This record gives sequence, C-alpha cells and structure tokens, in this order.
Amino acid sequence: MARYGMVMDMRTCVGCQACMAACSTENQTPFWSEKFRTHVEDKETGTFPDVRRVQLPRLCMHCENTPCLSACPTGATSMNKDGIVLVNNDRCIGCYACCIACPYDARYAYEHEDVEKERELYGKLVTHEVPHMDKCTFCVQRLAEKLEPACVATCPTHTRIFGDLDDRKSEVHKLAASGKAQALNQGLGTAPKVFYIPS
Amino acid sequence: MTFVHQEVWHWQIATYLFLGGLGGATFAISAVLHLFEGCDRKMLSIAVMSSIAFLVIGTVFLLADMLQPLKAIYALTNPRSWIFWGVVFINFYFIAAIAYVIPLLEEWPMLQPIIQKIPQPILGLLERFNKLVALGGSAAGFLVAIYTGLLISAAPAINFWNTPALPLLFVISGFSTGAAFLLLLSMLSSNPGAHAISAKLEQLDAILIVTELIILGAYFNFAMFLPTGARASAEFLFHSPVFIVGFFVAGLLVPLAIETWGIFFSGHSEGKKSTMPILLASALVLVGGYLLRIYVLKAGMFQYPW
Ligand code: SF4
Ligand code: SF4
Repeated sequence: MARYGMVMDMRTCVGCQACMAACSTENQTPFWSEKFRTHVEDKETGTFPDVRRVQLPRLCMHCENTPCLSACPTGATSMNKDGIVLVNNDRCIGCYACCIACPYDARYAYEHEDVEKERELYGKLVTHEVPHMDKCTFCVQRLAEKLEPACVATCPTHTRIFGDLDDRKSEVHKLAASGKAQALNQGLGTAPKVFYIPS
Repeated sequence: MTFVHQEVWHWQIATYLFLGGLGGATFAISAVLHLFEGCDRKMLSIAVMSSIAFLVIGTVFLLADMLQPLKAIYALTNPRSWIFWGVVFINFYFIAAIAYVIPLLEEWPMLQPIIQKIPQPILGLLERFNKLVALGGSAAGFLVAIYTGLLISAAPAINFWNTPALPLLFVISGFSTGAAFLLLLSMLSSNPGAHAISAKLEQLDAILIVTELIILGAYFNFAMFLPTGARASAEFLFHSPVFIVGFFVAGLLVPLAIETWGIFFSGHSEGKKSTMPILLASALVLVGGYLLRIYVLKAGMFQYPW
C-alpha cells in the first residue's frame, strides 16, 4: 500500500507542455476538444515593471479529503488502496456533481462526441467506450507495470517528482516534507497529495 | 486568486431546482392546509397533481442534462452524496403524493373508472390514512424543497453556494412559489370556501417574501464582506439587470406590495373579489423564483488558486 503523490518544482517548469501531450496519448484524452487531464497554466504575476511569467502545471490533486467522492451519488468515483482517486466509467451517470465539487477544475466530461471521435481515431484500441467524467489517474495502468506516470516520465526538466509520500526514502516524501512545497487552496481542507515548490 | 464562473450547471438544472422547490412546497402547503384548514378536495387534488407534474418535469430536465441518464438508478449508491438523498426524498415524495391524492381524485367523475380499478381494500386504507399521509407528505415536500439548496451548497470552492444561507434561501423561496401557485389556484376556484383559503395563502406568501428579503439581506451582507469568490458572485448579481429588476423588484417587491394591499384592503374573507392583481402577484412570484435559481447558478464562481 502506497500513498502516491506528486511534487511540482515550479522553479524548473519551462512550459513546454510535453506532459500534456504525453498524457493525452497515453490516456487517449480528447485533445481534439481541448480537454486534458493535466494543464500547464501560463500566468503573469507581479505589477509592471516587476512582472514575470510563471508556468503552473496542474492536475487532479488526489485529495485525501475528497469532495468529488463525497458528491458522487453513484460510487463511480472512488479511492483505491494507494490513495489514487479513480472514476469507474461504466458506473458514471455524468451528473457533473463531482465537477462542481472539485475545487481544482481537475475533471471534464468525456462526451458522446468525444467517444465517437476516439473510435474514429483509435479504432479497436479505444479506452473510453461510454461517456463519463474523466480525470488524471496517476496513470494507474503504468504504475501496475512499475512505470512512472506518463507526464513524469516525459517531463524534460524534472519538474514533476512522483512517488510514495509515505516512503521516507523517496524524493517526493523528502520534498513534500521539506516545508518548501505547499499544497494549493489549503484552506478548503481537501488535503491534496500534489504539492508545489514556488519559483 | 482567479474567479471563474462554473460552466457545468445551466438553466436545465435551474429548472430542476425551481420545479423541485415549487413541487415540494406546493404539496407540503397543500397537506398542511388540509390538516388545519379543512379540505377543498377538488382544489387540493389539482394542486397535488400539479405538484407531481412539476417534479416529473423537473426530473426530466435533470436526466436530460446527464451524460448517461439510463443508469440513473446507480445514484442510490453513495449516502455521502446529496444527490443520493435527493433521489430518496423525491421517491418518498412521489409515494406520499400519489397515496394522498388518490382518494381526492374521486371528486372527478371522469376519473371514476380508473379509480374503481383500484382494489377496494387499498382504496379504503388510503381514505382512512389520508390525513396521516398528508402529514408524511408535508415532510417529504419540505425535504425535496430544501434538498435543492443543499445539492448546490456542497461545492467547497464556490463560496457563494457553500453556505447554509443558500438552502435556507431556496427553501423559503420554494415555499413562497408554492404558496403563490396555490393562491393562483384558489383565486380561480369556484368553491365557496376558496376565499378564506386565498386570504390565508396571501398572508402566508407575504410572510414568506418578507422572510426571504431578510435572508437575502443577511446573505448578501455576508457575501459582500468576504474577500472571496462570494463577493465576486454578489457583485455579478448586483450588476445583472434581470436579477435586480426581474427577481428582486418584479419577483419580490411588487408581489409583496400587491399582497399587502390585498391583505389590508381587498377583504377576500368577506368574499369580495380582486382577482387580477393577486393573479399577477402570484405569477410574478413564480417567475421571480425561477430567475433566482437561474441567476444563483450563473453567479456560482470557483475560486481558483492560480
Ligand atoms: S482534485 Fe478534484 S477530482 Fe481530484 S481528488 Fe481532488 S476534488 Fe477530486
Ligand atoms: S459525473 Fe460521474 S463521477 Fe461525477 S459525480 Fe456524477 S456519477 Fe460520479
């Protein structure tokens, strides 16, 4: 049993969006409708003349205290033994309650049109057979094969550091516990498992 | 901090919330009227049948907004979800409303053939426990009406919704629309006792509108003084002419003025008729109630951390 989490080192993110591309091919997310499981926000901060561009990669925070799971009436949203929040596509009725409940805009609807388009593009290899709510899964299918999530494996600048937050020897544990990394919107009490080291 | 309007629940869900509140409250008030004011069986049967229709139509809107409506039965899986409780309350409501209304439908000669198909022992039981079912039904109606607000208040990052003031506002507004609808029916009723009922409903609606105004005052005061998305939402509503003129002025103040005038000067209880203004007031309350749901949904803003 692990407690998977991620640290984003915003000091090194260059905004290349390789993670978005890797994720959308690995997980067949509907890039054709501009829907992604992970985004890289391009933000300007500060006031002129002291302004800076900041890249902020974001995804499902796999909250410990999960508002999306509480909101989901069907049990389609669940947390597995490794603390990963998942959606059971066949059980999801697409009521959007989880989208409203998620404070991190981490979910989007895999709609009928997206399912059709996916079939057109991937033929027999489709992974999303019915419309449902979709979001990051930390690439559970890759974890099962002892691989890192696609975004982590692809990131050229080692911005994304993934691993077991409970494993004292892991890099992710050390960074998350270092005090340098912060979770987003902590006041909401969602206890995210994704942390950010500010740039 | 960035504030972003929620983009998933639109007018379809607003329609569901409105019809849920209206249907729930109409039945709850009808049942209470029956218990404490006696029973105009014709009017109550129309009221309860309409309230059932409101909820059926509302549910159709809800289902139409889902990606997989045919799997809706799964919604009875997670008791931590408000939708789970909504499904429970609505079913409880339907059972109570149908059990309550069947004996009342005997008033309608054209429905007699259908009613007579129901086995006599069941009909006898329904008749005997009619008042008890009315009591249960008023609870069911209340739960359905308040659930509409609870559902949307369960969004931690939408500060404007995530407050107990919202379910309270929705339940009072729901009851006000229910009272207005019943007032409309009672004004159109030819029953000799209908005037007394109209007078009661008019008073009830006026009290509910005043209560709603107080809640709105407290709610907006609270929202405006928080440096959060709630303030952004409140400001958005203050700058929406349809919300201010359509909901606040036409949907609350004007009907309140008409009803206050009606209570003090028109004298329904003496049997004098002043139908037109009261019909107008009821219609305005109903339109206002719908606008409130639409605009509260529109004003829902996420507070993003980036
Ligand atoms: S980030 Fe959103 S989708 Fe992910 S676990 Fe938290 S509430 Fe759920
Ligand atoms: S959309 Fe699906 S996953 Fe989200 S709350 Fe509804 S049933 Fe659950």
